[in-house]
Amino acid sequence: MGLPLFDAQSDPGPSFVRFAEMSGLMAPSTSSDLSAHATTVVAVRFDAGVVMVADRQATSYYVANRDVRKIEAADRYTALAISGSAARGLEFIRLAQLSFEHYEKMTDSSLSLEGKANYLSPLIQRNNLTSTLVVLPLLAGWDLAHQTGRVFEYDGAGGCYERQDFSVIGSGSPFAESTLRLGFRTDMSREDALALAALAIYEAADNDPSTGGPDFVRNIFPMMVTLTAEGFRELDQATAAATFRLINDRRAQSGGVAGGTLR
Amino acid sequence: MSNYFYVAPEQLIKDRAEFAQKGIARGRSIIAAIHDVGVVMVAENPSASLYKISEIYDRIAFAGVGKYNEFDRLREAGIRWADGTGYTYSREDVDARALANFYAQHLGDMFTEGQKPLEVEILVAQLGNKFRPTKLYRIAYEGTISDEEDFAVLGGDAETIKKRFADLERGHLPLDQTLKNAVSALAGPDRHLPVGDLEVGVLEDRGDRRTFERLDDGQIARLLE
Repeated sequence: MGLPLFDAQSDPGPSFVRFAEMSGLMAPSTSSDLSAHATTVVAVRFDAGVVMVADRQATSYYVANRDVRKIEAADRYTALAISGSAARGLEFIRLAQLSFEHYEKMTDSSLSLEGKANYLSPLIQRNNLTSTLVVLPLLAGWDLAHQTGRVFEYDGAGGCYERQDFSVIGSGSPFAESTLRLGFRTDMSREDALALAALAIYEAADNDPSTGGPDFVRNIFPMMVTLTAEGFRELDQATAAATFRLINDRRAQSGGVAGGTLR
Repeated sequence: MSNYFYVAPEQLIKDRAEFAQKGIARGRSIIAAIHDVGVVMVAENPSASLYKISEIYDRIAFAGVGKYNEFDRLREAGIRWADGTGYTYSREDVDARALANFYAQHLGDMFTEGQKPLEVEILVAQLGNKFRPTKLYRIAYEGTISDEEDFAVLGGDAETIKKRFADLERGHLPLDQTLKNAVSALAGPDRHLPVGDLEVGVLEDRGDRRTFERLDDGQIARLLE
């Protein structure tokens, strides 16, 4: 690639995607039904931010991968989670990370959280309307300007919706959503929110074959992330292990019956 | 009917060089120096929003003197090139030398073929790691690229400032000392530069992927104490 200089009329501005399209860096979309997908990711707001928990399994006709990272830091204060096609999803994360950083370097200021959420809409729309490899992301972050945690979800056509309570994406959504609906309160602490989000993933993994639960044999546990004034923090494996072991022990005590005081 | 006058190529080059030098000499200078753990770039710049020193990539920074609109365009092209290359291949494959060569080619082309030469002088700095060395590439208005050993001075008064800085700097000193030397070399014996007129950018490893940091007035004042 040569030095990408543009005159004032054709300048792509601080948008990396526009620049990449003009320079032919982005691959044209193709379609194929060979994709690893199915997932459950939840994001739950609490009094000082947002927590996110995601399973780790990539599934096609069989288990393709057991330790996929479905949540990534898009920048210091923003997390992006993916469901749908793994190939497209991972590419989507890469593009979002690069786009936010590119904007920051070009203009010497960061995009607002809402700006980041809106920027993704046309990308999702273009991907999902031109390809069978559908990708549905979930964006959560700490809004520096408004000093609050915020969650944005998308529909298949790229529509962006802000959620005040929680959001769920992936094939295990019905089970995770039910759990969150019953357990969500507006005054939750970080610990409450993490425990509830973890339980939602546990329930999703219990009933959805394409969502991976805690793997005590291989020591692989769902990813747990917090977004607060400190930015993006990923909880270490020991914490995730302890959280899921607790849920699992309670479930074992009740003989596998969900609900009641032993939930 | 138009008349074409013959101009000897030597004269043409000389005129163009003079034109570019004049434009560059109007602006204030920049010093970039390698310190003990990184690279520091210091510019005299009263504006707090029109920067001369910027981040290009994880370990690459840019500095420009001369006409703002011309070097800012080069800065943008550099960020696009770096982000595009890193996206196409890998972040590891983004190399300051390749970028400096592209800048040199472009400036060279503009000098010989453009309507007018660009009135800029730019610097591409790279913080080294185990794969690449720490480097300072200075690229002049006519496309001459020079690989500077320990420090580089850009701008009209470069030779004088270079001498002053060379007299002060002994090897790779800590950041605060290097900054003090750079500020006193930029100011000269008869002037004092207030913190508000300084723009300072640093490339240093702090455990993050991105190594560029723009120092604010408070940080600069503390280092100069």
